[in-house]
Amino acid sequence: MKATVENIKEIIVEADVLGDVEEMKSDVALSEQGIDSLDVVNVYLLIEEKFDVQIPDEDIDQVKTIDNIVEYVNNKLV
Amino acid sequence: MLGIKEIASYLPENKISNYDKKEKFDLDDDFIENKIGVKFHCRKNDDEKSSDLCVKAFQNLLKKMTIDISTIDCCIVVTQNPDYNIPHTSAIVHGKLELENECACFDISLGCSGYVYGLSNILAFMQSNNLKNGLLFTSDPYSEIIDDEDKNTNLIFGDGSTVTYIGEDPLYVAKDFSFGTNGKSYKEILCDEKLYMNGRAVFNFTATTIPKYIQKLLKKNDLQDEDIDKYILHQGSKYIVDTIRKRLKVDVSKVPFDMYDYGNTISSAVPMILEKELYNDSSRLLLSAYGIGLSWGSVILEKINLNKEDK
Repeated sequence: MKATVENIKEIIVEADVLGDVEEMKSDVALSEQGIDSLDVVNVYLLIEEKFDVQIPDEDIDQVKTIDNIVEYVNNKLV
Repeated sequence: MLGIKEIASYLPENKISNYDKKEKFDLDDDFIENKIGVKFHCRKNDDEKSSDLCVKAFQNLLKKMTIDISTIDCCIVVTQNPDYNIPHTSAIVHGKLELENECACFDISLGCSGYVYGLSNILAFMQSNNLKNGLLFTSDPYSEIIDDEDKNTNLIFGDGSTVTYIGEDPLYVAKDFSFGTNGKSYKEILCDEKLYMNGRAVFNFTATTIPKYIQKLLKKNDLQDEDIDKYILHQGSKYIVDTIRKRLKVDVSKVPFDMYDYGNTISSAVPMILEKELYNDSSRLLLSAYGIGLSWGSVILEKINLNKEDK
């Protein structure tokens, strides 16, 4: 399964971290859209589990936005 | 049969407010109350040591029950902040409580998982050596190792201690234990001079490992969620407790959370909750404690009347 903006948003909903995910912008950092430091860790874990990829601590700067995450995950899945 | 007869705890009166750190660590009330779940954390006096906290827990135990000191034949302290490197803190506690010479004393070096390991150890040790009255202490004053500038640890941990009285005719007995370790991740919570914690790694560990092993323990004992009245989880943070509960798909009413006013007291966290549950109506409890090591331990406790009926 490839990552898309939609399924990353579904994961954010599953993480139970934000009221209206539909309003989220895919090119703005999660941290600037109401997802705090604990919530974002939960989102990353769910992404790791859903796509069976690892996001090491040193790569965190590469997954700040939903667009970043989609690109990062799909590169890992290649 | 040996089991838990009573529990008492001690929390220092001195409390540090996390609301006073909002500016320093860029916090809001929601984060303090609903994510960390610690409004205040207890801080012992600088001249108090781990053994002093044990003694104060024991003094609180004496307010609950009469104990003939001369009958205590086992004394264990769970701590990773002992009074000294040498000797073991349990020997110091033994001296301060003026226990009899014919009393076995040893420490257990474990962090957050320590109470479950300690419970298994004291029950097995007492049973195999025909001992009758034991004291299991937890006392790990993290104020001695916390970095005041570290947001990851400064907001969470509090000082405190507990003592569990183990003897015949108990309130609860242990039905089954489960233990585990992921030693390759030992660096994720480490203290060289000051405490370091990789919050993300610890969260991932607890969210993925703990629900799996709790479910495995239930399955091994042919129990379902409805057979467990309360899940007493290590109070790492509210976020961690909530995450494990959601992953277990357990109702919020079955998972007590109670660290708002004193913080994460490491190995004392689980017995502090258990103390409040001892005289409730619960027939069967599941305790799970996890953290440093990375280490975990779970136990199913059954009220002794239930146990008799089963037989």
